[in-house]
Amino acid sequence: MLLDYDRLGWLRVALAGFTALVAAFLLLPVVFIVLLSFGSSRWLAFPPPGWTLKWYQQLLADPAWIDAALTSAKIAAMAAILAVAIGLFASFSLVRGEFRGRQVLRGLLLTPMVLPVVVFAIAIYAFFLRIGLAGTTIGFVIAHTILALPFAIIPITAALEGFDKSIEDAAIVCGASPLQARLRITLPSIRIGIFSAAIFAFLASWDEVVVAIFMASPTLQTLPVKIWGSLRADLSPVVAAASSLLVGLTLCLMIATALLRRKLSR
Amino acid sequence: MSRPFLSIRAVRKTFGAFVAVHDVTIDVPKGEFLTFLGPSGSGKSTTLYAIAGFQDPSSGDVLLEDKSLLSVPSHKRNIGMVFQRYTLFPHLSVAENVAFPLRVRRRPDTEVKRKVGDMLGLVRLEKFADRYPGALSGGQQQRVALARALAYDPPILLMDEPLSALDKKLRQEIQAEIRRIHRETGVTILYVTHDQEEALHLSDRIALFKEGRIEQIGTGEDLYLRPVSEFVAGFIGNSNFLSAEHLQTTAGAATVRLADGSIVTGVKATTPFGQGQKVRLMVRPEAFRLTPGPASAALAVEIVDTSFFGDRRRVVARTAGGDEIDVRPTSDAQATDSATTSGQRIFFDPASAFLFPA
Ligand SMILES: Nc1ncnc2c1ncn2[C@@H]1O[C@H](COP(=O)(O)OP(=O)(O)OP(=O)(O)O)[C@@H](O)[C@H]1O
Ligand SMILES: [Mg+2]
Repeated sequence: MLLDYDRLGWLRVALAGFTALVAAFLLLPVVFIVLLSFGSSRWLAFPPPGWTLKWYQQLLADPAWIDAALTSAKIAAMAAILAVAIGLFASFSLVRGEFRGRQVLRGLLLTPMVLPVVVFAIAIYAFFLRIGLAGTTIGFVIAHTILALPFAIIPITAALEGFDKSIEDAAIVCGASPLQARLRITLPSIRIGIFSAAIFAFLASWDEVVVAIFMASPTLQTLPVKIWGSLRADLSPVVAAASSLLVGLTLCLMIATALLRRKLSR
Repeated sequence: MSRPFLSIRAVRKTFGAFVAVHDVTIDVPKGEFLTFLGPSGSGKSTTLYAIAGFQDPSSGDVLLEDKSLLSVPSHKRNIGMVFQRYTLFPHLSVAENVAFPLRVRRRPDTEVKRKVGDMLGLVRLEKFADRYPGALSGGQQQRVALARALAYDPPILLMDEPLSALDKKLRQEIQAEIRRIHRETGVTILYVTHDQEEALHLSDRIALFKEGRIEQIGTGEDLYLRPVSEFVAGFIGNSNFLSAEHLQTTAGAATVRLADGSIVTGVKATTPFGQGQKVRLMVRPEAFRLTPGPASAALAVEIVDTSFFGDRRRVVARTAGGDEIDVRPTSDAQATDSATTSGQRIFFDPASAFLFPA
């Protein structure tokens, strides 16, 4: 191969350096935020003059923040459940179906991933305003379900493609109705894909900010929206603490996914 | 004759303009081991799937004890099936795989437990009850699949090339198991393979498929000793074909002229041939002798190669006409080693040869 790592010679050093630089560029802001959230300076001075947990105390004592976090979790959970349910049906017809326009349908279902979010946000906001769903939880969930759908469809479709249809046929000759065969054999066999879909769909909604800003109302705010709003109002270390919690939960979910996948695939 | 147990009546299957199965008709008595043999794409699986209910025939009928199966959905046909691919349920243990058909039938726990034990005993995998399919070899997986397919005592067991993914030695081992299980359970088996040795080894009868039709159906002996066509003769066992010209037939015994001009008389002719018609003379490798016997025809050949296989000898010879022939003389003729020199003649009994149109 042209780019065989073992034969790069001194370029290897350069490559390693470059990779480290990119990683640092991506990670450093997060690290700074986390460090600042524990710093005692009101003005986010770096390096922090001392260390404290008071920003976290303030955060957890403020019902507005707690409310935002709960709203986020609730919307993300509902969007994830809906996206997985719709994603399952969609994946079955995309993988198993034999109809014209299958590829077109697949493309259509994946567009939310490539469409500029702002465009999507404005469109759905205008639409929801007209039908009275703007600023409601239902509207929020619908918008986020659409955004999360590609993240659910991709892993489920992949799992279903890797699952031999003959196994389902075997369950049917064994006496299971086609529905029973799917519920008792196919779904458990692709559970890793379904599980990944749920996590990815949850995260897609959990840290989504653009659509959320349009959908939010003063009484309905998700965590990213609240962070965004607080940043513009006053730059307090409480925001850093909230951001750190957001990152922390995302990280936990990713790690949990990795561990569970490993356990399930054994 | 008693009424057939399973009756496949004029089953036809078309895919668009392509006819995959042409009006196949077979009656299968209870307890028979019937094999569908044939080259790839000859319609064996399609016929089997029509019985399993995965594919509706375009026309024709499948009757089990005089009742049509076609209106019964797959999962209610109560048929056992082992697939070519590994189809164990990956998230269930071996025991739960075998129990699955009983659980969907809502059989009581005690019966399920007993039956799973019996079935794993039948395929000799009792020790593997708690393993998961991922931790089994291919041969073990197919044996579990067999146990699962037999757990609900189906009247018919369908097997679609269940051993084709296994290596030769393992294949033979499991063939022996399948024979034993057929003997012990008495289940009616329809088996698909394209391996003629496997078919001969396992079956009571073989249906040889060619391009969607049954070319010949009969016991292995029928197909081997009384092939109805060059295709059957070529597919079952080893055969040598010599080009010849038909001269005349009297009382079922034909006289032909081989490419080198020699005349052979007394060849069995099952179909009539015209005078001067081009024909093919088929002689089994083991029908050749290295020494002349009573009533034998001689063939001038050049010995190309001789190899020794312990229990028999294999000689490759070339006729004057340029046909390469495979000679496996049975032990009585192995005495002379002179056959290894060139410019030899080999001999065969014309009555053991077959004549087909070219
Ligand atoms: N779904 C289908 N659509 C179109 N043609 C098909 C379909 N299924 C089978 N065929 C065709 O029907 C013919 C018979 O297929 P079948 O699978 O019965 O062959 P087979 O004898 O089982 O061969 P093999 O030994 O390769 O399994 C083949 O030519 C195949 O291409
Ligand atoms: Mg086949």
